[in-house]
Amino acid sequence: MFKMITYVFSGLLSILKGLGITWNNMFRKAVTLQYPLQKPVMTERFRGLVDLIPEKCIACSQCVKICPTAALDLTSAVNPETKKKSPCTFVFNGELCCFCGLCQEVCPTSAIFLNNIYEAAYYKHEDMLKIDLLKVDKYAHLAPKKACPCSKTSETRK
Amino acid sequence: MMEYEELIINMGPQHPSTHGVLYLELKLDGEVVLDCRPNIGYLHRSIEKIAENRSFVQFMPFTDRLDYLASMNNNLGLCLTVEKLMNIAVSPRAQYLRVIIAELNRIASHLFAVSTFAQDLGAFATPLFYALRDREKIIQIFDHICGQRLTYNYMRVGGVSGDLPAGVDALIKEYIPYQRKMLDEFETLLTGNVIFCARSKNIGVLSKETAIKYGVTGPNLRASGYKWDLRKDEPYLVYDKFDFDIPTGENGDSWDRYIVRIREIRESLKIIEQALGGLPEGDPVAKVNKVFRPNGETYMCTENPRGELGFYIVGDGNIFPYRLKIRAPSFSNLSVLSAMVKGLNISDTVCALGSLDIVMGEIDR
Repeated sequence: MFKMITYVFSGLLSILKGLGITWNNMFRKAVTLQYPLQKPVMTERFRGLVDLIPEKCIACSQCVKICPTAALDLTSAVNPETKKKSPCTFVFNGELCCFCGLCQEVCPTSAIFLNNIYEAAYYKHEDMLKIDLLKVDKYAHLAPKKACPCSKTSETRK
Repeated sequence: MMEYEELIINMGPQHPSTHGVLYLELKLDGEVVLDCRPNIGYLHRSIEKIAENRSFVQFMPFTDRLDYLASMNNNLGLCLTVEKLMNIAVSPRAQYLRVIIAELNRIASHLFAVSTFAQDLGAFATPLFYALRDREKIIQIFDHICGQRLTYNYMRVGGVSGDLPAGVDALIKEYIPYQRKMLDEFETLLTGNVIFCARSKNIGVLSKETAIKYGVTGPNLRASGYKWDLRKDEPYLVYDKFDFDIPTGENGDSWDRYIVRIREIRESLKIIEQALGGLPEGDPVAKVNKVFRPNGETYMCTENPRGELGFYIVGDGNIFPYRLKIRAPSFSNLSVLSAMVKGLNISDTVCALGSLDIVMGEIDR
């Protein structure tokens, strides 16, 4: 009986000790990011969606060869005047990509790179399968939306 | 005379305390477990077969997905094996960087292990979130170093993929005293707690002999009282230059497995401090599109947070390995569960399973 009582009291004591820590923690600075309102700042090396600077690409297809999940597809043509290779189609399959970043490491001209877009959700499955990397506005729909129409803009001030 | 019959209960694969998709077949007498059969295979992705169609650089992202709580250590294991097979020298700076990063990941993994163990015992959410808050600091350091938070793909055969960015060494230096302080706080929450002690002491006792018989490695083996750490006994990288202890337990119960992990975090912090102090200058970056054509076979094991992670590679002169076998520590650690839980209650089975700290991604591969 006595053992039971001491056991209960020592249990209560350690609960109080634990509560003391949580009490102290209550007055610390919050570490949580209020996500949809506050956006995280991506690091310099962050590996988001695959992006391309079409002018820089020399269509050497090293990125296609090293891609471990075969997410890239490239066809190229040689310009008869300048004798330079350039990509005709460059299709990126967002579903297969594992964001390993090997393509940007092998690229000799740093044409292909992983941008800092982390909200990579699509409305349609088909859109995700074939992303044309040569298009300039390929990720335009993923970019942050315009300011709320009710907020002050240059037009409402007129 | 009372009649009773044995009851077979399926625990998992969608059970919250089975750490992933593990399916335990429990044979019960009332609430006492008579027999336990772990059924695995729900997370099988045939990674070993995939390795036969990939070069080593291409296979590196797949090793991230083995033990997803300690991706850097998995990267390191494959790198060291290929380097041993091909006799590739690694620059001293890369070796020191690898040590720092592997130990940081060990801390992150152990923090997750002890806090989910506490969660299994009913210390709901508080220790878990405190540990995750501290783990977040490590994840952010990794985010700066390699650009991802979970699947790092940082190590390369012959070095690493990028040098430490400016300011990150200051982040790590800041982190070490912070973690020491927070670990003290974490220990007051759990180590000194009478209820936590009562729940975990003398539960799931694993004797030294049984542990060795089943091939249990890592903190689970050390908790049983056997001093075996590959970092000390078969030193790789530059671990022989650092001064650190190997914590061991006495009884091999769940409590010992918990406290060994906590002590290992402190030892890892010691190693990081020493490695950061002696970080040599030089170029750690390895060329990524280098082609390796290994011929012959080799086995190399490293000390993962969960035990001995081994890679066995057979090469036939091709850029793809002929065979790549992964010796996953969690696989052996899980197999001992049925020997441990006989005679325990169901709730204590959860305790024993949580203290083993298994990761299903590595078991099923």
